[in-house]
Amino acid sequence: MSAAITWTRRPKIDQWICWWTIPIFYNLFGLIFVVLTRVMPPPRPDITPAQIVAFFETHSLTIRIGFALLMFFIGFASVANGLIALQIKRMSVSPVFAYAYIGSLVVGGLPGCLLPAFAFVAGAFRPDRDPQIMVMLYDWCLLSFVGSLGCFCTQNMVLALAIFLDKNDILPKWLAYMSIWMIVTELLAAPVFIFKSGPLAWNGSISFYVGTAVFVVWEFAMIRLLYVAIKNQSPA
Amino acid sequence: MSPEMTADQVAAFYAQNTTMIRFSMIVFNLCAIMLIPFFMVIVVQMKRMSLPSHVLAYSYLGAAATGATLFAIADIFWLIAAYRPGRDPQLILLLNDMAWLIFIAPVGAFVVQNLCLALAVYLDAGARPIFPRWVAYFSIATAAAMSPAVCAVIFKSGPLAWDGAISFWLRIGAFAVNIAVMFFVVRAAVSRQAAEEAMKIGPSVGITDAKVTQ
Repeated sequence: MSAAITWTRRPKIDQWICWWTIPIFYNLFGLIFVVLTRVMPPPRPDITPAQIVAFFETHSLTIRIGFALLMFFIGFASVANGLIALQIKRMSVSPVFAYAYIGSLVVGGLPGCLLPAFAFVAGAFRPDRDPQIMVMLYDWCLLSFVGSLGCFCTQNMVLALAIFLDKNDILPKWLAYMSIWMIVTELLAAPVFIFKSGPLAWNGSISFYVGTAVFVVWEFAMIRLLYVAIKNQSPA
Repeated sequence: MSPEMTADQVAAFYAQNTTMIRFSMIVFNLCAIMLIPFFMVIVVQMKRMSLPSHVLAYSYLGAAATGATLFAIADIFWLIAAYRPGRDPQLILLLNDMAWLIFIAPVGAFVVQNLCLALAVYLDAGARPIFPRWVAYFSIATAAAMSPAVCAVIFKSGPLAWDGAISFWLRIGAFAVNIAVMFFVVRAAVSRQAAEEAMKIGPSVGITDAKVTQ
């Protein structure tokens, strides 16, 4: 019992537990999206309906297992958002930035992650559907997954502005510049709704790879900088 | 409804039960999101707890909004399917799959909501905790009972399918019991807060506003 009391009374214990969820769950997201469900890197947009049906038949089981895991772990995204919102509230800026950050990511999680997952699950659940419906589910998933732009633009804009205006130096200014680059990559992904092949399609070098590379660097930086921010915070 | 039904059987079900499906889903549509204010009362109570920070309350808030949005989307898919039961059965089947999968499977939001609450209740260092400690264990039990429902995206029959004993009955039962129990827990916490603030005793008075800037 004394051990239990010790850990519950450690300073900032709630933030440390929330922080640890972030690296664990982003690694699981990598496993889910890259290895199991095959949406990263995305399959080609310019293939025939028969090939799309074959794609769902081949990967039916792993797509369903992967997204079953996602249905559970997606909840932890709100913990990461809550932790970043808390750090924004410590900045010398209005709390409006923290609330806008939570709001934009609550919206973003649905078209950016869960609705694409359900389109792929519906395809993998019954690969014997009408091929035209399978093509629609395929487009639904990948356009929604790669092309959900506004929520993440808003999230990064709010974060960048909060960091620029902050006088307490909770997070370094260069993270704000990186967040602006995130907005640029979201804008560069806008043409996925028009192109079916080439660098601007949903599997293209510009629309997908540049954006993903910037995101991975941003996420690593964020995890590290949150660690530093929590460590530097004086115990309440 | 079994996930093993064929497209024609599903279409026939919608054609025969159109009125009841519309009625029940419109009622759900109107009422389900009314749980959000209730969850926000829990958020406010979490902010009153003696915790190092408000991070768990913010996480709870985000997860509650995600979970409720998912239910609202599932509800709309049922209503679209029932709107024109004469549609191509393949399309009715798709709408029905979407509705059931989105209704049953994405339990992560509610699970994380409960884990955040459990951790907050467990860490609450106040002399008189806002919620009794057993709420932490009860929340973890709810989360554990609901988690297997994610398997509804994998199985079409058996207890883990969307109409199965675990994915449907245990999940819905755990959710209903949780809401019912939390209703009384929250009501007791709010009455105590009102009594304490009326008598101007105890250190918890006004703490909600004072701590916001941390």
